[in-house]
Amino acid sequence: MDPYSAEGELVNIHNAFHAGQYDKVVSFDTSAFSSLNKLPAQILKLRAKLALGQFSEVLSEVKGQESIPDLAAVKALAQYSQEPWDSDEAVQAAQALAQKQGDNLTVQLLCGTVLANAGLNEEALALLAKHQGSLDAVALIVQIHLQQNRSDLAAKEAQRARKWAQDSLLVNLAESWVGLREGGEKYQQSFYVFEELAQAPATQAVHSLVGQAVAELHLGRLPEAEAALKQAIALNPKSPDVLANMIALTTILGQDTEELKSKLTEVQPKHQLLADLAAKSEAFEAARAKYSPKFEP
Amino acid sequence: MSSPSMLTKFESKSSRAKGIAFHPKRPWILVSLHSSTIQLWDYRMGTLIDRFEEHDGPVRGIDFHKTQPLFVSGGDDYKIKIWSYQSRRCLFTLNGHLDYVRTVFFHHELPWIVSSSDDQTIRIWNWQNRSLICTMTGHNHYTMCAQFHPKDDLIVSASLDQSVRVWDISGLRKKHSAPTSMTFEDQMARANANQADMFGNTDAVVKFVLEGHDRGVNWVAFHPTLPLIVSAGDDRLVKLWRMSETKAWEVDTCRGHFQNASACLFHPHQDLILSVGEDKTLRVWDLNKRTSVQSFKRENDRFWVIAAHPEINLFAAGHDNGVMVFKLERERPASSVYQNQLFYITKEKHVRSYDFAKNIESPSMLSLKKLGSPWVPPRTLSYNPAERAILVTSPADGGCYELISLPRDATGAVEPTDTKRGSGNSAVFVARNRFAVFTQSNQQIDIKDLTNSTTKTIKPPPGTVDIFFGGTGCLLLITAASVVLYDIQQKKHLAELAVNGVKYVVWSTDGLHAALLSKHNVTIVTKTLEQISTLHETIRIKSATWDDAGVLLYSTLNHVKYTLMNGDNGIVRTLEHTVYLVRVKGRNVYCLDRAAKPKVLQIDPTEYRFKLALVKRNYDEMLNIIKTSSLVGQSIIAYLQKKGYPEIALQFVQDPQTRFELAIECGNLEVAVEMAKQLDRPKLWQRLSTEALAHGNHQVVEMTYQKLRNFDKLSFLYLATGDQEKLKRMAKIAEHRGDMTARFQNALYLGDVQNRIEMFQELDLYPLAYMTAKSHGLEEQCQIILEASGLTEDQISLPTLGHPLSPPKPIVPTFKSNWPVKGTSSSVFERALMGQVEGLEDEAAPATNGYGDEEPEPDADAARNGGLDEAEEDEDVAGWDMGDDVDAEAESDFVNVESADAGAGSSEADMWARNSPVAADHVAAGSFETAMQLLNRQVGAVNFKPLESRFQEIYQASRTFLPANPSMPPLVNYVRRTVSETDSRKVLPIIPRDLESITAGELPAGKAAMVKNKLEESVQTFKKLLHLLLVNAVSSQQEVTDAKKVIKSAAQYALAISIELERRSLVKNSQDISSFSDDIKKRALELSAYFTIPELEPQHKALTLFAAMNFANRNKQHSSALGFANALIDRGSNAKFKESARKVKAACERNPSDATEIDFDTFADFDICAASYTPIYGGSPSTACPYDGTKYHAKYKGTVCRICEVAMVGAPASGLRLVG
Repeated sequence: MDPYSAEGELVNIHNAFHAGQYDKVVSFDTSAFSSLNKLPAQILKLRAKLALGQFSEVLSEVKGQESIPDLAAVKALAQYSQEPWDSDEAVQAAQALAQKQGDNLTVQLLCGTVLANAGLNEEALALLAKHQGSLDAVALIVQIHLQQNRSDLAAKEAQRARKWAQDSLLVNLAESWVGLREGGEKYQQSFYVFEELAQAPATQAVHSLVGQAVAELHLGRLPEAEAALKQAIALNPKSPDVLANMIALTTILGQDTEELKSKLTEVQPKHQLLADLAAKSEAFEAARAKYSPKFEP
Repeated sequence: MSSPSMLTKFESKSSRAKGIAFHPKRPWILVSLHSSTIQLWDYRMGTLIDRFEEHDGPVRGIDFHKTQPLFVSGGDDYKIKIWSYQSRRCLFTLNGHLDYVRTVFFHHELPWIVSSSDDQTIRIWNWQNRSLICTMTGHNHYTMCAQFHPKDDLIVSASLDQSVRVWDISGLRKKHSAPTSMTFEDQMARANANQADMFGNTDAVVKFVLEGHDRGVNWVAFHPTLPLIVSAGDDRLVKLWRMSETKAWEVDTCRGHFQNASACLFHPHQDLILSVGEDKTLRVWDLNKRTSVQSFKRENDRFWVIAAHPEINLFAAGHDNGVMVFKLERERPASSVYQNQLFYITKEKHVRSYDFAKNIESPSMLSLKKLGSPWVPPRTLSYNPAERAILVTSPADGGCYELISLPRDATGAVEPTDTKRGSGNSAVFVARNRFAVFTQSNQQIDIKDLTNSTTKTIKPPPGTVDIFFGGTGCLLLITAASVVLYDIQQKKHLAELAVNGVKYVVWSTDGLHAALLSKHNVTIVTKTLEQISTLHETIRIKSATWDDAGVLLYSTLNHVKYTLMNGDNGIVRTLEHTVYLVRVKGRNVYCLDRAAKPKVLQIDPTEYRFKLALVKRNYDEMLNIIKTSSLVGQSIIAYLQKKGYPEIALQFVQDPQTRFELAIECGNLEVAVEMAKQLDRPKLWQRLSTEALAHGNHQVVEMTYQKLRNFDKLSFLYLATGDQEKLKRMAKIAEHRGDMTARFQNALYLGDVQNRIEMFQELDLYPLAYMTAKSHGLEEQCQIILEASGLTEDQISLPTLGHPLSPPKPIVPTFKSNWPVKGTSSSVFERALMGQVEGLEDEAAPATNGYGDEEPEPDADAARNGGLDEAEEDEDVAGWDMGDDVDAEAESDFVNVESADAGAGSSEADMWARNSPVAADHVAAGSFETAMQLLNRQVGAVNFKPLESRFQEIYQASRTFLPANPSMPPLVNYVRRTVSETDSRKVLPIIPRDLESITAGELPAGKAAMVKNKLEESVQTFKKLLHLLLVNAVSSQQEVTDAKKVIKSAAQYALAISIELERRSLVKNSQDISSFSDDIKKRALELSAYFTIPELEPQHKALTLFAAMNFANRNKQHSSALGFANALIDRGSNAKFKESARKVKAACERNPSDATEIDFDTFADFDICAASYTPIYGGSPSTACPYDGTKYHAKYKGTVCRICEVAMVGAPASGLRLVG
């Protein structure tokens, strides 16, 4: 029986993981799990810790167990996530793992994540293509396609998964991600998915609240977006995702964003938005330099 | 007197021409010859259309019917023939005359023909019932000519009896008009008339007999509108007659012919008489002065007849050796284009200008009545913008020129006061203060300064006929067979190009190219006279003008056509009348017609824009055209295919068959497969399989073979690609089909010995089965076979056995993916299209992925090449379309992020930049450079520093971050303002702080701050507002108008407050300025007065007036204070202000004088310079900020506007775009 299916042992922890309830995953009671599912559960917990930023904890936990490919993959991801800007070693480790243990799902997912993060999208996709009916892999593939701005391919991937996994959470999420790129009516559909997650107490998390807020923002419903973001801030005032989107929203509302930016710099100095803005500021200077205004006649 | 301006358009060679007739509509002329032939010529093409030969002997009379496809002729065989030129035959003959028929003419409305004959009669015929209806007798010698009056019921006739007679034929008309319209009295009258007919001529009665010629009269004609008659006789005279209701008399005589005058007529439109004679001359006379205007002499040919075209300015004269068609004067109006203005000379010889942008014709600026001679129009006009002077040449008096300054304002047709003149054939400005005059007779070019004194003399190459502007400091010298580029400074030839008969030179607006026009050729050259392309037209080329994008539009007699630099050309539209193109802008072609009236023609530039975009590889433009126009047509598809762009043609075609062909041609298998599936024809599958095989796309090959049920090939394909699985299946299929050969083949491919043995056994081929088993060392099997065949081993003799053959095992699973191919056929264009519509089929994507890195280097280079060319070409068009730059950036961006990833698409942000000409959208897309280019072009923006925060704001407002998979970076999504739009070609980014928020926020805030006297804050708010609106987007044209109003108003507020701040800082905020020096005092008072000038809302205006009034009053400027007080009382709405204004008024009226004289004129209308805060009075040179419209003294041109702090004052600008 598929351990992730509706009756399987892993379904709840898995769903919690993908709903972004990482604390819940970490503290999930897995003692009663069958021995077969022990390892996948452990991996999920480790991944949740990684998502929470507890890199060194994870590293120490997997230390000495690199012979298990799953844990080796966890280590690679942990190493990478700890210092993504200085990560050649981790990437190489991931590549090596991918070559040797390419059939292992955990290796596929985690090494795929590392590779995609490192910009090696094609390698990541090739690795992930080996998956055998894993929605995690599908979700990752969808995201990579979206990052490549190929929403057409992403949509196809999600559609294909929909055929065999029907109403699974991950399929819904993946479709929502695509929907936010496609726009139009899809905005609303994506909104429903995030809202359903975000507003049910059992599944509420920053993750889904941000998703809801983003969907509202794209729909042009600014007050609602603001409300959702405030809810998320209440849950975690230091979430970079929340801050980044708050900056966009505040800008649209025509208000000052300096405070938010400095907060974001505090919690995640290398956030995509900040890096992007710095790059654009340079681009602005470079473009500006092409003109030489004269001030005196 | 010579006739410099008579222009021969056509000449024919034949025997003596005795009669001529113009077709009223078509470019045809009928010529009746002394040799009995009637010729029909197309005088425009110069071709003989037809010949009609049924008359016996000379044919003298000929005429076209005005509306029917008929003509009439009369000859020395006494016959009048009616012909149809459609069926090209004589319809019938009217017999009756008893001697030579001299002339025949149709009536302008009735079905009548009038003929004159040597039998001394004039006869009227009805050609509908083919009967003679009237015979007019009276002349007692040959009647040489008889014509209907163009309107009245009159006929005029000329006879060798020396008389001219005017006949009244109203009776005849009554008799033959329809009886229904007749009253009883009329019927009675008609009956009586009929009766009278028996006695004499009451149908046609002689009205006047004009006697004055001393010899026989050869020709006579009515004036088209006036009661005038002209006649020509053997007494060598041309006589002018006038008639009234009751009498007719001789007016005057034109003397000049020295032999018999054979024919004469009135000019249809001008006050001129034309006559021809046996003295071989053609003469033109002034109708009013009866003096000779021009004359033209042929060497050897006596003239016999002359005719005028009823509509256009054309004449024809018949002589001993044929016919000549000519016009009396050039109809090309002299004109010159400078920027947005056209200067031209009207038919009345007035100089006018025309504004292209406003579509306004100025009143006359000058009258050039005195230039040249009265009937000769000026030939060329050269305009000098620096001096606002024109140089006009006229061919009169052997060529002359005049240099005239244009008045500042067009006030009417005044005679120029200060003109410099001289003789010469051509004159053009070559520099701001120099012009060149060319005299053909002594082959000399003089370079003159503006005082008309020669500074330099140049000897042009022999045979030079004309000169043209050749770029600054250069001349183009035209000889019969070549064009020479001549540098005036260095006095040397720079280049020479062999082009025949160049008549005009048209420079492109950027001055980089010129078109050399000759009669039938257009040659495009660079400014260094290198030929780029040339084309030939069979129809005469009349004029040309350049599109801003580098397309030449030219006009022939009947078409407007275009040509690209590469020589591709086509028709843009047809013309009803000849026009002279002067300018193209968008869909408008501006031209002058032959009456020298400016006209605007609408054209559809899509076709040439598209072709241009294709040539320049401007795919965005092409996309745009495809999107927005209904261009698709066979011709475009054929064009694209011919030009080697099948992949682009593919985008247009719906028909599956054509699509398939195109797809094969451009190697687009994907589409080919799709189409083949639709059509499902073996032949197509066949072709597809061949093509796919060439591509190494074995998956498609496999499918086609399956479709074709080509099992053998399929098996071989599987063998070649190492697909064992499928090969096995093929073997099974073969077994199923019972096709032994196929089964054997498959077994061989598979190396399946067992199967082969079994098969041989089944076929009872035991020896072969045995051999196979034996050779593979399958002893057991051998034994079984032997047993089955009832033999033992020693009973058979075996040949020597070789080694068993086994097919090699596949090492690489080739079958898993297609042979990697570069996506060469998917051009940028195609990708753009496909990416938006559907995206490339994913099959191909993973296939390429694995091999991406192994791609051989040279190929990659080749792939880049296309891109490089593109980049180079793009530079040429820089400033034409923004899309490309964006593309380039997008591409480089994505190379940085994802190294050489073929699978990635372009992000939505890139779409924004592509989809929009609005700077804000480019900012949102992150394409700051193109955004700046746009702003620079639209409003002359140069100082972008103040916009930095705005750029950042827009950029960061348009991106959200969606957390997706754990440990992955959030997904960037793009916020749109087009929320419900899903077409990626229409999506546009959200732009924060829209017009609504600004009009509700900054605008009132700025005004409120002003009222609260927080001037610093206020001026900053207004400037901020200007920056916000500069980079913004709105949704409708109405909003654009609103936004522009807000900009204007904010700029005025900012200016007003800046003036006031200046004053305050000058006097350190004190109201009493008596302690300051006089200079400061004066300046402070002035500034206080200027504060009231900018256009503010009434309540704020009142505020400024109030402040100025108080300030003036306090400082004893009673006169100024009075002025402000009056203005306040007039306009103010605030009761308190009015109250104090009345008090001030009362006080000041007692002593209305100013203590200090200041530069402020209450009554004059003026603007305030935003840099110097001094007035700009009307008429003094000024310039303005292209963005906010603030005015400046001319010297501030080129500096950054003090108000918006972004735009360059006086910069050329196309206007801010806020909507796509």
